[in-house]
Formats: sequence, C-alpha cells, structure tokens
Amino acid sequence: MPKAQLFITCLGDQFYTSTLQNMTHLLERLGVELTFPPEQTCCGQPLFNNGFEDKTRPVALNFLQTFGESDAPIIAPSGSCAGMIKHHYPSLFKDGTPEHALAVDIASRTFEFTEYLVNVLKVTDVGAVYPHKVTYHASCHYLREMGLKTEAKTLLSNVKGLEFISLNEEETCCGFGGAFTVTYPEVSRSMMENKVKHIISSGADTVVTCEPGCLMNVAGGLHKAGSSIRAMHIVDLLSSKEELA
Amino acid sequence: MTNPIIENIRHSLGRTVQSPLGLRPDIYEPRLPESIDSEIARFLDEVKKLSGVGQKLSPADIDSTLKTLVAEQNIRKATVWGTPHLRQLGITKILNSLGVEIVSPNASKHEMALCDLGITEADYLLPETGTLVLKSSFEKPRAVSLLPRIHLAVVRPEMLRADMHQVFAEAKDSNYLVFITGPSRTADIELTVTLGVHGPKNLYVWMMKE
Amino acid sequence: MSQDTHPYIGFEEYSEHVPPSIPLAVQQATSRFVGGRAARVAELPQWEQLRQIGSDIRQHTIENMDVYLTSLEEKVKEAGGYVHWAETAEDARRIVLQIAKENNIKNVVKSKSMATEEIELNHALEAAGIESLETDLGEYIIQLAGTGPSHIIVPAVHLKKEEIAALFSEKLDINAPTDPIELARIAREVLREKFLNAGMGISGGNFLIAETGTLVMVTNEGNGRMCTTMPDLHIAVVGIDKVIPDWESLIVFLKLLARSATGQKLSTYTQFITGPRHAEGEFGPKEFHLVLLDNGRSKILKDPIGRDVLKCIRCGACANVCPVYKNVGGFAYGSFISGPIGAILSPQMLGTQAARELPFASTLCGACADVCPVKIPIPAILSHLRRRVAQGDAFALPTISTPIRATANLASLALAQNWIYRLGALVLPIINPFFRKNNWLSGMPYPLNRWTKVRPLPPFGARFRKWWNVRSAKETESTHD
Repeated sequence: MPKAQLFITCLGDQFYTSTLQNMTHLLERLGVELTFPPEQTCCGQPLFNNGFEDKTRPVALNFLQTFGESDAPIIAPSGSCAGMIKHHYPSLFKDGTPEHALAVDIASRTFEFTEYLVNVLKVTDVGAVYPHKVTYHASCHYLREMGLKTEAKTLLSNVKGLEFISLNEEETCCGFGGAFTVTYPEVSRSMMENKVKHIISSGADTVVTCEPGCLMNVAGGLHKAGSSIRAMHIVDLLSSKEELA
Repeated sequence: MTNPIIENIRHSLGRTVQSPLGLRPDIYEPRLPESIDSEIARFLDEVKKLSGVGQKLSPADIDSTLKTLVAEQNIRKATVWGTPHLRQLGITKILNSLGVEIVSPNASKHEMALCDLGITEADYLLPETGTLVLKSSFEKPRAVSLLPRIHLAVVRPEMLRADMHQVFAEAKDSNYLVFITGPSRTADIELTVTLGVHGPKNLYVWMMKE
Repeated sequence: MSQDTHPYIGFEEYSEHVPPSIPLAVQQATSRFVGGRAARVAELPQWEQLRQIGSDIRQHTIENMDVYLTSLEEKVKEAGGYVHWAETAEDARRIVLQIAKENNIKNVVKSKSMATEEIELNHALEAAGIESLETDLGEYIIQLAGTGPSHIIVPAVHLKKEEIAALFSEKLDINAPTDPIELARIAREVLREKFLNAGMGISGGNFLIAETGTLVMVTNEGNGRMCTTMPDLHIAVVGIDKVIPDWESLIVFLKLLARSATGQKLSTYTQFITGPRHAEGEFGPKEFHLVLLDNGRSKILKDPIGRDVLKCIRCGACANVCPVYKNVGGFAYGSFISGPIGAILSPQMLGTQAARELPFASTLCGACADVCPVKIPIPAILSHLRRRVAQGDAFALPTISTPIRATANLASLALAQNWIYRLGALVLPIINPFFRKNNWLSGMPYPLNRWTKVRPLPPFGARFRKWWNVRSAKETESTHD
C-alpha cells in the first residue's frame, strides 16, 4: 500500500476544510495510506515571493523537519506550494549542509495532487460523476512552474456526464499572485474581472481550478458579479458522485 | 589606450585584455532552395501578401506593361537606376515615349522627391519573405527606391537566394544594404494599417522571364 | 536619467487611477500582435531551436562584450565612421550637441530610438535651440501631444483618431479629418519637407555587427531610411548591449525579432549601414557618427543574474502577453521602457530606490518567459530584484518600507512556529460574525480591506486538524475493540 503525507497548505487549512476532507477520502479510496504531520504550517511562499528569502528559511526549516521524519512522499492540493518546495527549497540552503540535503530529498518527493494521481498512482479515472458544463482555469505556477499541462484535463475527461467547455484565455493569470492582491489591489481587480468575464461568457455552470489561491479569488469575484457559476477545486469535483439525470 | 567603458566591462566580467574570446554558439543549417519555378512562385506570392504587385514578364511585354502603369498611376516624372540591365531593357526610352519626364537618379534630393516613380533592380531576392535586397552605389542610388511614391523593381531569377545566409555571405562587405519587404506601412493610428507613410506606397515587382 | 536623480516611480499610485481607455487600447494592440506572433511561430517548426540559439548567442556576446565592442569600434573607423563613447546619459547628450554645434545644425529629424528616449535627447536639443522632430508616426504624434509612450511598438495607440485629428489641427494650423489614412498622409507631407531640409538625422540601432562595424536598423515606415539617407550627417545612438558577433548571428535575430514583435516575417525595411556613403550621387550621409551608450549597462554586467536583461532585443513580446501590463499600459512603469522588461531593467538602471515598486508589479505568472525570443528568465530576475529591495544584496541596500518589513518579520515568526500558527488559526474564526454576509466576509478592516474592497473573503474555518484527530482517535478506538 503506498504511503503519503498530507500537506494541507495554509490557505487550504484556513478556508477549505471540506476540500481537504475530500482529498483525504479520495486518496484513501485509491488505496493510499495517509499521515498528517501536525507540525506543518505554510510552505513560505508569501515571504519568499516578496523577496524575504532570509525570513523564509525558518518557515522552510519547519516544513523540512515536519515532513522529514517520514520518507513517504508529500501531497499538496496546490501547484504553487508544491512548486515552492520542489524548485526553491534547495536554493534556500547552502550546498553541503544537512539542511540542503534534506531539502533536496523532500523536493524530490513532493507532488501536487493531480500530479500524484496521474503520474505516480497512474490513475486517470477516479469514478467521479458530475453532469455539468465545466470550464477550467489553468493556474500559473501549476502550469508553468510545475509543467502540469495535461493532468487536470485528463482527470476531467473521465468524469461521467461532464461536458468540458474550453475557457477563453484559459492560461491568463487570474490576478491572485499571492500578496499581489493586497499590494496592487486595483490591478488585481482588473485581472480578476477579466477572468470572471471569460468564465461567465463560456456558458459553463462550473469553473474548476487546482489552486486554492486562484479559487478564493475567482469564487469571490463570481459572487461579487452576482453570478451563480460554481467555482470548485478539482479535488471537490473529483469527489462528486452526483446522480446522472 | 583603452577607454573607461571597456575597462568597466572587463572589471564587471572579471576579464582582462588577455582574456580569450569564447566560442560563439553554432547556427543551424541554412535552407536549401527548391526548384527555380517554385522559388519564383513563392517569392511572388509573398510580395502579394504584403500588398505589393508582382508578376512575371518577358522583355517584349515591358512596353505595354509600363504604358499601363504610367496611365493607371498618373506617372509624370520618373527616375531610374543607371544599371546595364535596365539600359538594355530600354526602360528610359519607353518612358520618354510615354511623355514621362526622366529625372537623373543622381539629381538632388529635392528633384528626386518630385518623382512619381522610381525604378530599380535588386541585387538579391529572398523568396521566404518576398524581400528585395538592394545595394547602394553611384549607379544604384538609395533615393530611387525611397523618395518616389511608387517603387518598381525589375528583377531576374538569378538574383534569388535560398535565405539570408547566402545573401550575407556575398554582401557583408557592402557599405550599405537595404531589405525591402513590401510597401511602407504603419498601424500607429488606432491600429489601422496604412501604406505609404514615408516610403513608397506602391511596390511593383516585375520578375523577368529567362 | 541616472540612479541619483530619477524621480520615484509610483506604480501603485498610477495603477489606482488608470483611465479605462488605456487598457482598452493597449489590449487591442497586444491581441493583434499576439495573434500575429502565434501564426508566425506555427509556421516555423524550428522556433524553439531558434530561441535557444538566440539566447546562447546573446549570452555569449554579453560575456565577451569587451572584445566585440573593441572590434566594432575598429571596423566602424575603418569604414570611415566616427565612434564616441558615452559613459553617462549626460555624456551622450553632450557628444550629440557638440557634433550639432560644430556643423551648425538647426534642424534634426529623428527616427524611433529607445536609447535617445533613455537619455532624453530631444529636451537637450530643444534647449540648445535645435528643432528635433520625431518622424516615426506614433512618436511624432506623442511628441506633438507631449506625452510618453503607452506601448513600445505603437506608442500612440491610446489616442483615438479624433484626438489625433484635433492634435494635428491645433499644432499644424489645419483642418485635419479623422480618417487614419488621411492623417498619415498629412504627416507624410509635413515630414517630407523636414527630411529634405534637415541638416542632421539621428537614429538608434537594433544591432551592431562587430565583424564589419555595421549598424542594423529594423523599421516599417521608411522614416528610418529617410533620416539616415537624406541629411549629410547621421548620428546613431546605440546601447553597448546591442552588439552582436557577426552577420551569421544576425540571421537568427532577424528571424526572431519581427515575428515576436508584431507577427510580421520581416519588418518592411531592414538597413545595414557601414560607415558614411562612398559617392555623392548615391545619397546617404557624408559623415557617420556612432555614439555608444553605457549609462549603467557595464555595471549591470557585474550581476550574473540581473545581466540577462541585457540580452533583450526590444521586441515587446513580453508586454504583449503580460496581464499586468495589459491592464495598466506603459505609463505606469514611469520610464522609457515598460512591461516586464521595464520591470527588470529600470530597477537595475535607475536603482531600487526610485524603482522599488516595479519588481513587485507582477504576479510571477511566467507568460513573458514563454515568449521571450532570447529566453530571458524574467520571473527569476523579478524574484532576484525583489530580494534586493526586501533584504538587500551585494549590489544595493534594502529599500523596502518599514511597515512591510515589520509585517514580514511577524509572518516569519508566526509561520515558523507551529503553536503560533495554530493559535492564529483558532482565533481568526472569531471575527467571522462581524463581517459575514451570505457565507462570505466583506467590509473588513485594514489590512484585509485591500482584499475585500475587490471581492469578498471566504469565512475563516480551520477545522481539518480537529477532524483528523477525532477520526484517528475513533480508528484507534475501533482497532482496540
């Protein structure tokens, strides 16, 4: 039985408890034995992306120590968090130090959720049922930093009853960008409104994404625009067992 | 005697006067030409895509085609490159007989600016982009392809080169070279494409048949 | 424009009040160029290979810049041209004014040049009583209007044709129609006189070929040819980073440049100028002067990460795909160059005091890196410069504001200590009832108002840990049964 450790991410922790519960159930249903190291906090992106590399180090160390106790792979429902760990953790520590070695090791076994499903478990059909018109927003770090270009769509293509509608400007940033939303709120607004406009004009009744940050941004934007379009994390969609009409 | 900027550069890069030049990375293999007819067709097709007017012509047709051009475009003054081939084709004579005033290609820029038509050849042709490559000399003045509102290039298949590799290998030591790819254009005002901003508005290319 | 004197670039302030017409116009331009680029890229199966070669050649050139510039100077002189070295913007202005003065120049025609905008040459010429007219249509328009460029390729795209007609009517004392084709014709007539009578032409340059001392100019309208063919004197002001090794290298850049910029295969005119003319009757300048501009570039070379910015070939493809740029336009970047490349060049050229907001004017989405024809790792350089602003590095002290640094300290503490983090997670849901409306939180106080003024926040509710613990306890219980 494959083993894995859950990294729930700080945004997941604060705002998306049910998504995390769904993720737990889904992975266990696929036969993964999960642990949840309670000492976890945040991957440190908010500090790192704002240039505070020195202040990121203690946060990263906490992560490494928390997840370093087991040698099982780590799964996160976020491409940007997985990207932070995989691509930036090693550079935070000096070559030759035990911290650096640990970072390299952890980086090599950290996966984003869809990446783990499709590329590690080799599962592309989780038996989900979601008879709706669904459009997909490709999150930037998930797409470009993690290079996950097909995984989400592959999983969606096997959801029963799902009608996939291509989103205009699917790969254009939604304007979340972490602290960017509070650093340049008006620019973030314009970018978010642009994304919401395309989602509404797509004709879909659901928009799905793989990133909690994007989800917060887009869901809030859709609500503010008075739209009834549902914004979901892919974990929740893949956990759906709605009845087919 | 070296200058402070070069010194700064060396200092920044950690180099000295003795530092060797690294190896310049390789370029890919140049394009190979297809059949001559295919190259000509491609060239003329690209010229057309650029809103230029290209056609194949035999020397016997020059008279009537030039007559049509002069009438259609209201040509009153023209200037022509002083090259042997254009002389051989009798371009100036034909224009004279049509009542067109010939301005010397070496005349002053003010006189040249009053010309409606400028006729040149091309030193090389690039089929992939429909580009005319023109050198510059006393016989081939730069203004002839620039100042008049219409530019006519009378070209021959032997000027075709597969791509820029060949052109540069042959012409890199010229003191002046210009690539002309279509008529002058801009999209600066509300993205509306406008031809003939400062350079010629109309480009005609006559490909002489062998 | 130098590090000490440049005014503070208030990107945030500008971005709070962007006139809606700007993003609208900019987006029309960018979508056309992006569409064009995509079509041209699809035609070239070797596109990715070309990008890599282009990147490698630029890298190589930067790392051997001293050798190539030395060879360039030698060859330009051999061809009969003059070479001047300008360490600063002030030096460059002084050199140009000197040449103008020595030749009694009263009228200058200028073709589009980012380098001359960088050194604010027009102001200096005007101050010396010399008319310096921009002749590229877009540059001519914004010169008349007295504004800066909103886009690197189409600088006047933010102006409607009615506004341009009104501008022409006012400045040229005519009754200008609003038809763009007519407006271009008016500009052609006005500028033609200027081209024919100007004593000096000033241009920039896209590339400098070290092998033969050749200046390469990539243009579309013909004004670039006019400025460098009609007057007897030609001065080219070009950044030292524009040097390339040889003609063979140039092929790669010519294949990459127009396609990346506008979606053309080649621009209308590409000129290759090696020194002054040989014969009077052939036209062209009697004298050719090359002013090589440093203005901070040799210093940027010291930074192995930051110096990749010098690979830039000024195509604008990065701006065309940047969602931030497309929503604010060029003015927000506060300098002659905007978009992603501006965000990494200005902090290095003007310093991280004046330009400290620019590295953060990005979501690090990475769309720019995907399209850069010479593979500049723009997001990596943005991160690198954020570190310079936030914590300082070998090149500069930190310039981040005290409140932000304090927040970062607090965040670092809270996120590194599990117990502080969990305490926060327990406390936060307490504030929910005060701001809750329909399952969302709105109207929150500072600093969360910066989020909620744009869209609502989900309610705080960290319940996973408790759920996991309860579940584990149940499982342990059941296994003990």
